[in-house]
Amino acid sequence: MIESADVCVVGAGAGGAVLAAELAEGGARVTLLEQGPEHDADRFSARPPEMMARLYRDAGQTATLGSPPILLPVGRGLGGTTLVNSGTCFRTPAHVLERWASEFALDLDEASLEPCFERVEAALSVAEVAPDLAGENAAVARRGAERLGWSHGYLRRNARGCVGSGVCVFGCPTSAKQHTGITYIPRARAAGARIVTGADVRRVIVRAGRAVGVEAHVRGPGAMEVRAPVIALACGTIHTPVLLDRSRVPDPSGERGRNLSLHPATAAFALMDHEVDMARGVPQSFFVDEFAREGVMLEGVAGPPAYAAMALPLTGERHRAAMASYRRLAQFGLMVSDSSRGRVRTVGRHPVIRYDLCAEDLGRFRSGLARLRELFDAAGAREVYLPLPPGVEPGRAGVGDLKLMAFHPLGTARADGRAGRGVTDGALAVRGVRGLYVADGSVVPSALGVNPQLTIMALATRLADTLLDRPGTPAVNRANTVARANGHLNTKEVLCPS
Amino acid sequence: MSADTGMDAFLRAAPVTQRTGMRALLALASRPRGRRLLDRVPLAEQAAWSLLAMRRYDDPGVSRALGWDAAEVAARGRELRRAEGRP
Repeated sequence: MIESADVCVVGAGAGGAVLAAELAEGGARVTLLEQGPEHDADRFSARPPEMMARLYRDAGQTATLGSPPILLPVGRGLGGTTLVNSGTCFRTPAHVLERWASEFALDLDEASLEPCFERVEAALSVAEVAPDLAGENAAVARRGAERLGWSHGYLRRNARGCVGSGVCVFGCPTSAKQHTGITYIPRARAAGARIVTGADVRRVIVRAGRAVGVEAHVRGPGAMEVRAPVIALACGTIHTPVLLDRSRVPDPSGERGRNLSLHPATAAFALMDHEVDMARGVPQSFFVDEFAREGVMLEGVAGPPAYAAMALPLTGERHRAAMASYRRLAQFGLMVSDSSRGRVRTVGRHPVIRYDLCAEDLGRFRSGLARLRELFDAAGAREVYLPLPPGVEPGRAGVGDLKLMAFHPLGTARADGRAGRGVTDGALAVRGVRGLYVADGSVVPSALGVNPQLTIMALATRLADTLLDRPGTPAVNRANTVARANGHLNTKEVLCPS
Repeated sequence: MSADTGMDAFLRAAPVTQRTGMRALLALASRPRGRRLLDRVPLAEQAAWSLLAMRRYDDPGVSRALGWDAAEVAARGRELRRAEGRP
């Protein structure tokens, strides 16, 4: 099966779905290929093991190799990880944009990104969580933060008509969470985009230095080739460099797969004197950013008994006793803006992720865990359960003592405006080949310290504007354009100096 | 879906290395000698306990006793989506 399009987008998560919708609405003939399925909310059971098997890649068991090994759960299907994240929305912090400008020569500032963020936030119905919807788990953290005088607030989320089902990360049963699968994908469809699920893209076809299509295997029909003058990869930070490797796309910067940044995270529980019912309300609704400048962000986390039982850092009788008091358990998380850097390599057809926690990040976990305990103590906790082996105090914890998960992988095809640097340039075009772009977290050049979905979506919006040659798009080397016969679309071909 | 079926689906969907490791931990944790072995390796003991606990507390009868009714949460979601024409 051979098809043609103006643009072929690979991956339907935060970046790909946004790019596909914006381009289709701009008049481009778009084909969007997604490896996972389209999920039916009628089958969302609110039960963690079943939903992890269904909604996550590898049942949420994607793991890094290194010290310590870290679970790195990512979503799969229309919506990608936006389907299974907590819905937290932050714009890119100003200090991060300043760093990108000075360190990576990226022409991005608050003013230029403002229209992109506005469009994304309107599409996703982003609003601050109301305190009554946040639930008692957030109220516990709020009491602690207020007593300690720590900076805090309710998070902004992409949700509409939320009733606090408490299972954002296991598939929102009310479709209140406005993930890209129910926001941008319907817009793309309405604008005429062809969306193919179950499409495993095997390689990007490159001829004479330019990308001309992709080869995929689609469940059912079998082999498929999409020919398009513009290809945009949005397979996510772990899989985009692997697809580039498999396609033997040149890597003049030598940085592909490197510079992997994560937000390693952990969480503590507290036993309170009153009922908390942590799964009633929005699990991630409240933050404490008192230590954000030190690279430590405290954010809400919670879930139903099966989730809490899995995460509770106890064993034996202590675990049974704590779970018997599940209704009085509170939980709060700690996320580190990392200095460590990992690497994604391609082994066979698959990614192997290496990531070792550096001493600086270990220090952040030590201080963050101490602060989580302080937060719960100030909130009146009867007992605090830190994710450390018995007898290990936060200040003396070693890397091997930490029980970590990680979220928000970024940077493996990082953008860099300096000549010859970065896997992608300032316009998100892949260096060394024409007509190939990246629209996912892999282009984000450094850790953000906050949840990245809005940043990824805003960058995808900006890329769509660039490809449609809308006013205000980045000044790039416009060697020529690919124009559609009807003249409506004026897709730029960006020639990058390598 | 029973707790065992949900857990089976979870294990089946995991990558082969993790699946093998998790099945080994569950097998060890189900035997007295295996539990004594796990006692000596705190990280493995914690991992085994987490898996056993996830299976146990995914049981609707057990979780309902703790105030969580997954079926009710899912049904409320379906009703809301139908009533309000949500996707």
